[in-house]
This record gives sequence, structure tokens and C-alpha cells, in this order.
Amino acid sequence: MNNIVYLRMKKKTTVLPGSTLKLKDIAFISTTGPEKEKIENTHIYRIKEEDNDYVLIDCFLIISHFNKVYPNLEFELVGYNETIVHVKEKAMNPPIILISFVWLILFIGSAMTIINFHYDVSMQEVQQRIHYIFTGKKEEFPLWIQIPYSIGLGVGMVLFLNQWFKKRFNEEPSPLEVEIFNYQKDVDNYIAYHENNLNEEERYL
Amino acid sequence: MRKNDIYKLVEVMVGFSSGVIIGGGFVAILTVLGVIPRLVQISKSVKLVNIYASSVILGVLFGTYLSFTTITWDQPMMMLLFWGAIHGIFNGMLAAALTEILNVFPLLSKRIGLEKYIFLLLMAIVFGKITGSLFQWLYLVR
Repeated sequence: MNNIVYLRMKKKTTVLPGSTLKLKDIAFISTTGPEKEKIENTHIYRIKEEDNDYVLIDCFLIISHFNKVYPNLEFELVGYNETIVHVKEKAMNPPIILISFVWLILFIGSAMTIINFHYDVSMQEVQQRIHYIFTGKKEEFPLWIQIPYSIGLGVGMVLFLNQWFKKRFNEEPSPLEVEIFNYQKDVDNYIAYHENNLNEEERYL
Repeated sequence: MRKNDIYKLVEVMVGFSSGVIIGGGFVAILTVLGVIPRLVQISKSVKLVNIYASSVILGVLFGTYLSFTTITWDQPMMMLLFWGAIHGIFNGMLAAALTEILNVFPLLSKRIGLEKYIFLLLMAIVFGKITGSLFQWLYLVR
């Protein structure tokens, strides 16, 4: 009976430019045969200059290659169909000036949007009215509502985004983490499709 | 039937229909933004979700009453403090839930490689909202 080699492609891997990919870099292998190490160390691909940021390795190419080299082995795929190889220099810390700039954009931007929102919905008038209903006195600047309101605004946001109370509440991800994860998944999907040369022909159909 | 009665009937129709549409829209917005699920998640009380839903409905009805009534209650200032703070928390959750914010962060983190500084940037938005709001009430409107 033929030995079966199980291949599980890694979803994603990050390598340095110019490095050589071995099979074990992009897939997990399980087999009972003696060739495991040899298969794992097979060179699959060398990252070239023109590959830019992403290279996609399709399992189909790997399997068809190995079928030729090891005709007595049977290759079986479990899991993902392709591996996304992210070619990246060692991560550098972004400059502090960039961070401050982005910080300022977000800070001033959200300050302005909340002011615009308050004007949009006539917040001041409503608060004056609430002040009148509750206390029976007219007050043009109902600070007793407005200041707690402003602080509550921040509390509500933190509560929603679940940054500070992470451990205390539960292990469920916050909406922001889910959103970042989904975004990453969409990007990966896009790359998986468009960097794959096997899909090239389909594209022009 | 007198002409006036017909007008009244039309008014009732207009009032009721706009109420239905606006009520539906209000609930739809709350649902899309996911404020209630978030509160349920934080307080671990899925069982009480019906109570939360009904409190929203009661809140809307109470708010409707407040916007049309002319009475006053002679309550102490503490009541305003409480009211304002709770309103702020709710609005903060709404603001945080707006998809613009949730979509800005994945972009920022991936495109300009600020993954490690997400928390810092998040605080920029939170403090931006607080500062903007305080600035408005303490200086801008005066």
C-alpha cells in the first residue's frame, strides 16, 4: 500500500526578501513513511525581487510537483488550498512624527465631528429643555447636564470598544478586534485570488 | 362628516404612519450599530435581552412624552448630573459603534503599520470627543 502524506498548508507566513522557501515553511506534513524530513526540506520557491510584497503558493502546484518526484507516495491535502507568503523587511518602528500626526488627525477630527453632531441635533436646546422640565428653572447653559454628558461620552466609547476592561469582563473579542480580523481576512482572500497564477486564465474569461 | 373631522382623521393617519416609520428606523439603527448586543456581551446577560429591548421602547415613549409636555418637576441638580452622565455613556457607545471608526482602524493598522499603537490612537478619538464636547459647552456656545 502507498504511504499517504498529509499536507496542511499554512494560512499565512512572513519571510525576509530573498529567502528560499522550504516546504516546511509553508505547510505542516504528517506521514508514516521515512521520507518526512526529505519532503519537508524540499525547496519550493526562492523569493525574487519582482515578487513585491506577496507571493502565493498554490497547493496544486506542490502536489503535482511531488507526485512526479515521489510516484510511490500519495499526497493528501487537509485545510487551506494556498499559502500567502508575505515578503517583508524586519519591522521598523514607525517614526514618532507619523504617529503624532495620525493622532492629531483622529483627535481634532473626532472633536469636530462631535461638535457638528451636537449642532446637527440641537443638543443645546434639548438640554435646556430637559433642565427646565427637571428643575423648573430656565438656564441657557445647563452645565449640570453637559459636563457629565461629555465625560460619559468617553466612558461609553471605552465601554463599547472594550480596551481597558478587557480582562475583567470576558475573553470575547471587542468589536474593533473583530473588525480588524475581518478586514485582514478580506485582504487575504483578495490576495489569495489575485496573486494566484492559476486563476489568471479565469480572469479573462 | 364635517370637514374638520376629515382633517383630524388625516392628521391621525399622518401622525401614526410617521411614528411607525421613525420607530422602525430608530430600532433599525440601534440594531445595526450593535449597541444592545455589546451591552449584553459586557454584562453577560443574554437572557435579559427582551428586558433591554422593552426598556428601549419605554425610553423612546418617555422621550416622546418629554418632548411634547409642558410640565416641570422641581428636581434637584443631582438628577441632571445623573441624566447627563447616562446620556453621555449612551452617546459614546453610539459614536464608537459608528462604522466609520471601526473601519478607520483596520486601515490605519495595516497601511501605515501602526498596529502597536492602536490603543494610543483609540485614546485620541476618545479624548477628542470629550475635549470637543467640553469645548463646545464651555466656550463655543457662549
